[in-house]
Amino acid sequence: MSGLIQGLLLLFFVACACGIVLSAAFRGKATLRIIAALSTVCSVALMLSSALALVSGEGPEARLWILNGFGSFTLQLDALSSIFLFICGLVYLPASLFVARYLAHLFHDRYPARRFGVLHFSLMGSVALVLVAHDAYSFLISWECMSILCYFLVNYEQNPSTDTRAGYIMLAMSEAGFLCIVLAFLIAGRTATDFSFPALAAAAVHLSRPALWGVFLLGFLGFGVKAGIVPVNFWLPRCYTAAPPAFVPILAGVTLNLGFYGILRLNVDLVPTHGWGTGLVALIVGSVTALVGILYATTENDMKTMLAHSSIENAGIIVAGIGASMIFRGSGFAVPAAIALTAALYHTANHSVYKTLLFQGTGEIEAATGTREMDRLGGLARFAPGLSAVFLVACLSISAVPPFNGFVSEWLTLQSLLRSAVLPSSFVKIVFALCGAMLALTAALAVTCFVKTYAMSFLGIKRGAWEPNSVKVFGRSHFSSVYLAVACLLLGVLPTFVVPVLNRAIEPITTASATASLVPPFFTATEANHQLPPAFLEDFHNLGAQTGSKIVPGRGLVLLVRGAEQNPVIFAMSPSYSIVALALLLLLTWFIVTRATRARIVARNELWAGGIPRLLPEMSYTATGFSNPVRVVFQAVFRPNIVEDTRETVAVHFRTAIVRRREEIHLVDRLFFHPIGDAVSWFARLLAGMHHGKLNAYIAYTLGFLLLILLLYRLT
Amino acid sequence: MSFWFWNGLRRGIQTTSYPKAMELEAGVSPGRPLATSFTSSADAERAAAQCPVGAIVVRDRLADVELGRCIHCQRCHFGARYPLDWNYDYEWTKASGGGHDFRPLPKPYRNSLHVIVVDAGDCGACLHEVKQLNNPLYNVHRLGIFFTPTPRAADVLLVVGPVSENMRVPLQKTYEAMPDPKRILAVGACAITGGVFGRTAMSAGGISSILPVDLEVPGDPPPPLAVLHGLLAVTGRKDLVVC
Amino acid sequence: MTATRTKDAAVERLDWDALIADLQQRFQCDVAATDSGAIASAQINDISSLPALCRFLFWDVGCGFGGLIVEEGPQSWELRYIFLAHFSGWLEILVRLPLTTTSIPSISAEVHAADWHEREAEDLFGLQFEQHPRLGDFVLHDQFWGEGVAPFRKRFDITKVHANGQHNVSWRPLLVVRDPGAFAMPVGPVYEGGIGESVHFMLETVGEDVLRAVPRLFFNFRGVEKIAEGRNVAEALLLAERFAAKSSFAHSLAFCSSVERIGGANVPVRAKQLRILLSELERLRHHTGVITGICESTALAVSAAHAAMLEERLLRSSCAFTGHRYLFGLNTPGGLRRDFTEQQCHDLLDAVRKAEEQLRTLEDRLSFTSSFLDRLEEAGIVDLERARDLNLVGPVGRASGRGHDLRKECPYGLYDQYAFQVPREKQGDGYARLRVLFQEAYQSAHLIRQVIASLESGPVHELCQPTRGVALGWVEAPIGAALHWLRLDESGRVERYRIITPSFNNWLGFHVAVEDFAFQDFPIILATFGLSATECDR
Repeated sequence: MSGLIQGLLLLFFVACACGIVLSAAFRGKATLRIIAALSTVCSVALMLSSALALVSGEGPEARLWILNGFGSFTLQLDALSSIFLFICGLVYLPASLFVARYLAHLFHDRYPARRFGVLHFSLMGSVALVLVAHDAYSFLISWECMSILCYFLVNYEQNPSTDTRAGYIMLAMSEAGFLCIVLAFLIAGRTATDFSFPALAAAAVHLSRPALWGVFLLGFLGFGVKAGIVPVNFWLPRCYTAAPPAFVPILAGVTLNLGFYGILRLNVDLVPTHGWGTGLVALIVGSVTALVGILYATTENDMKTMLAHSSIENAGIIVAGIGASMIFRGSGFAVPAAIALTAALYHTANHSVYKTLLFQGTGEIEAATGTREMDRLGGLARFAPGLSAVFLVACLSISAVPPFNGFVSEWLTLQSLLRSAVLPSSFVKIVFALCGAMLALTAALAVTCFVKTYAMSFLGIKRGAWEPNSVKVFGRSHFSSVYLAVACLLLGVLPTFVVPVLNRAIEPITTASATASLVPPFFTATEANHQLPPAFLEDFHNLGAQTGSKIVPGRGLVLLVRGAEQNPVIFAMSPSYSIVALALLLLLTWFIVTRATRARIVARNELWAGGIPRLLPEMSYTATGFSNPVRVVFQAVFRPNIVEDTRETVAVHFRTAIVRRREEIHLVDRLFFHPIGDAVSWFARLLAGMHHGKLNAYIAYTLGFLLLILLLYRLT
Repeated sequence: MSFWFWNGLRRGIQTTSYPKAMELEAGVSPGRPLATSFTSSADAERAAAQCPVGAIVVRDRLADVELGRCIHCQRCHFGARYPLDWNYDYEWTKASGGGHDFRPLPKPYRNSLHVIVVDAGDCGACLHEVKQLNNPLYNVHRLGIFFTPTPRAADVLLVVGPVSENMRVPLQKTYEAMPDPKRILAVGACAITGGVFGRTAMSAGGISSILPVDLEVPGDPPPPLAVLHGLLAVTGRKDLVVC
Repeated sequence: MTATRTKDAAVERLDWDALIADLQQRFQCDVAATDSGAIASAQINDISSLPALCRFLFWDVGCGFGGLIVEEGPQSWELRYIFLAHFSGWLEILVRLPLTTTSIPSISAEVHAADWHEREAEDLFGLQFEQHPRLGDFVLHDQFWGEGVAPFRKRFDITKVHANGQHNVSWRPLLVVRDPGAFAMPVGPVYEGGIGESVHFMLETVGEDVLRAVPRLFFNFRGVEKIAEGRNVAEALLLAERFAAKSSFAHSLAFCSSVERIGGANVPVRAKQLRILLSELERLRHHTGVITGICESTALAVSAAHAAMLEERLLRSSCAFTGHRYLFGLNTPGGLRRDFTEQQCHDLLDAVRKAEEQLRTLEDRLSFTSSFLDRLEEAGIVDLERARDLNLVGPVGRASGRGHDLRKECPYGLYDQYAFQVPREKQGDGYARLRVLFQEAYQSAHLIRQVIASLESGPVHELCQPTRGVALGWVEAPIGAALHWLRLDESGRVERYRIITPSFNNWLGFHVAVEDFAFQDFPIILATFGLSATECDR
């Protein structure tokens, strides 16, 4: 088995290398076919290898080479890596097909697809390397490669309208994050034998408290740059908006996860802290990130920017879950920690799937209509029903509507926050409650945001000047979109199969299994749970707990969270049951309605608009109008500046135009970067005062510094 | 704020008992001229000449009244040399007779009738009278009649005014937006025959040239009880005037 | 041209002779009295000085702007700009232009209130006014009528149906707010609020406040002025009564007074007194209707029900007294058509007394209902300067501080012999307008009591046979000042009939004065203005 896995991984790397070479060799449409074909091979190889690794429990290890004095470069596919690798493969398949299709439709021979292909495969390879790296060196080198390749891909389209500054900002932030990560590893490995992950884990127990905090903060912020948490995420909206539509799904669906992987690997797996301090920081930062992200997403009208803010929101939820898990583990409650971590990992998988789908849809819309502004769209559903259906599935998933996948992971996250009742410290419990409230508000705003997105873009009257025919061409649903939509549905309907798989990665970290709590075996017909009192089991049996267990094959249909052993409290949720019930209800309703209204005459007429000659697009509700209540209620966060409020007139009493423009500075910029920037500028100006060109002063500086060093040497 | 509640209770029930019993209070209706016999046909002709809109038709010695034309100028009543007999009733609705027979709305609509009112160039009097039906003295809600702002939910289109040119298309759109079954009620002399405005380039001289009218309520303006009689006649709860 | 000066004069009585001298010297006008003697007519010879002259009259002297009367004479256009020198008299600026004139300088930049008068003249007569900001698509909606119709010209045959039943599908409204997220909510003409007149609004917004509400009027345009041409006085009287029923008596009174001025009739005293009685009865009932509308708009249902019952009882009292609920068929040139017995007057007095009592109780209760006041206060504020600028008349103007009332400034009938006050408020918001309405209603009741107490016996009608002539009749209608200008030919038939209604003035004021309001306040502000679209549309 291990050999098979190793073989598949090798196949993956070989295919990547082939991809690089062949993309460079061919040109035009052939390149795109190569991208599509070889990416499929790579993704399937990734998925198979990680799936097999998870199922069999074996992780092959490969020692690449050994450098004297530094240690060995090793790769290993352990459980945590397998999960992320599987998600990566799952998303790369449709994303690559989308790349090939998008480039084929739009740019034909004039687009330098060769370079894109080379970069694409290189990025895939470096992402996989990051995930399987088993020592600090290989990890850091592949991380840096990945960052730089991301930058190249983001700044790929160089035409006057793209914002290349966004790419530079991303690169700068990535480098700053990288420095933090390097420092974190250095601090962690100060007393370790070498820099391989097992050695670091062993040395972690001897680290002093300040060192642990240092590792946590540096690692959290450093990986947080990639993950997209406040306050280091201000590159994300700019970058997602500026990146070419072919690349953004990968950026959102794959590279974002690397940030989470980093946090999990360094701060949860290798160097965990004791006590709840660090976890609390993660929880609070995560909740605030989620809230800020969704606030800006709700009031944003450019679809790509809106989705970027929504990614920030989801990143916040995941980090909050990780934080909760760290708190539980630090306080000694392993099972709730496992549950929280399950929620975080589930949400990572879900987010990758539906975010990729959303970005793909946005790319299609942009290709078809030429605009991403929701105020200029509208009425797309009539011209592109396939795209509309798939986009609807994605919107429902991200709004956490059952039976899709978002519901399961959000439910699990909120449930795990509710487990805080077991914690001893009341301060922590209060913080949990507040963060729970913030996340609940976030969920509500997310629904608003995506209702607005779907309704304003797809429903209603056409508001912009685009041609409906081009929409028909682009608007068919394709394999990649349907694949992702089906994945959304399956992940939502079959959580009882997903949770044990995730558990394999979680159990080594938290030393407790979540499966027993989440999907207890007592609902299955064969096993009886001896830990529970028989009377309890009997009650549940009478309530129909066994229903469906014989009809539907496999484990029970219920995903539930169980409380303490003595007085077990059950919170249950069953997406499978609900989808069956929903289907039955809908069928029944349809049946009744069609039979009852058979005799009815249906007349079709134009829309009633009060008797005016025609209902014009200017008269329909816009996205700005829809989200205005949110903007008004949270005005303290947005603090809009009214830049222009002019009233033009032809004559004194006769208005011809009222022009209003408002400008907003992002909250994070206002609170963090502008003050820091101002401080740095101030300091730099202070230092600049030293550079006045007088030679005597410079000699004096040198003398002073020399004296200082001698003094220091003397003192130490 | 509670004084509103107590005050309302103290005032008691003010609603009229129509249609169960006839409302006899003074001022509910301006009344209408009746067909009057004169001593000679010359007198009848002079009586007819008093009417500025030609609503009095002479048949031998009888001066008959075409109520659809009457504009309530009262020139045949107060201070007239040849006054006509006068009746202070208000049940005046008649079928339009514009080529199709009137069939009342089916039974389910009897106690649940939704009306949409369109002002097609009205002077304000007929519209105001219709509006009075909502006040507690008449209170059509107790009879199951409701005024709806959207034609999609309306059963009866109540039109006032002679249909000015600018309102022609909105009126037609309103009619087309109504689902079947639907009936049209033309209220007021302007809506029936164009009133004092007549048929010009600026107004169509009545609704019947544009839409198929079912019932007509004559008067200028018809009092609220006459309009109520018309609404009740649409569902067959009240009988029409035969002429 | 004398006038009495009353205590609550808002404007000082100006020096009439100095004004005439100014007109003659500075602007080279030929000043003369007109046929009827009620107006001083100043003919201007140099058309380019027209804007400056109007600016002088409106802003420097402080006259009010009455309106623009356009007439197509046999050889020339005759434009009359009517100004009211408060407490001194009417002044018309007469401009004669050859029929081939294509453009006339617009005065709307100087006198903003003239904006719509000029737009109406352009639509109906085809006259072009230079530098007018927006001409066209006013009275004749572009999507139904073509260009260049000019229905009020002599050559237009109104009996022929204008063959334009198709509507122009490329019509687009003129939108003003420039913002990518801006949109306009269409309201009407089949009004979404229930039973209402046909008016269309485009409420432009970016999602929060409504930045601009542009009304589209003239859905009820029936061309009354044109229909009246060629009719005799008795038939034209019917039109005057019935184009706006809620102010029917006031308009018929203005028409009759202009006919009486032409014919030189001497209206008996009893008729004049009864005319005051009926005018004030109409005002009382009209104001009760507007108060009902205000209560309905704020959704204070019980008070709306009370006010509606009150109005219905006043309608019934009117019918019991006169035979018609809206007072049709009473006025005739030379007096009234019928007389009333003492018993009838007593019954009316009773009814009015009860109505006033109930109104006072209603006002008292409303002033203690804070939720109601909250919605009215600061809603749709029009300050004095704006009201002056836009020439707002009637209760709306008085709520903003303009104390003009034609019953005091140019007393007609016997108003100068009765004591009454003209209420005035300063805030100019919805609550101020409501207070003015209540106070005027009480003053109307007061006048009715005085008239009935002092009613003289005698005839109510004197024969009036007018022949050729021209005269202006004016009246303070419930909504504000109304002018009826009439020219009769030698057989006593109408040659030109011009109606300037207070709603016409105030609708312009409404849409310019109301900007930046919350969407929920829109029906309330509309209700407090108490405007009538059909009176404006004619």
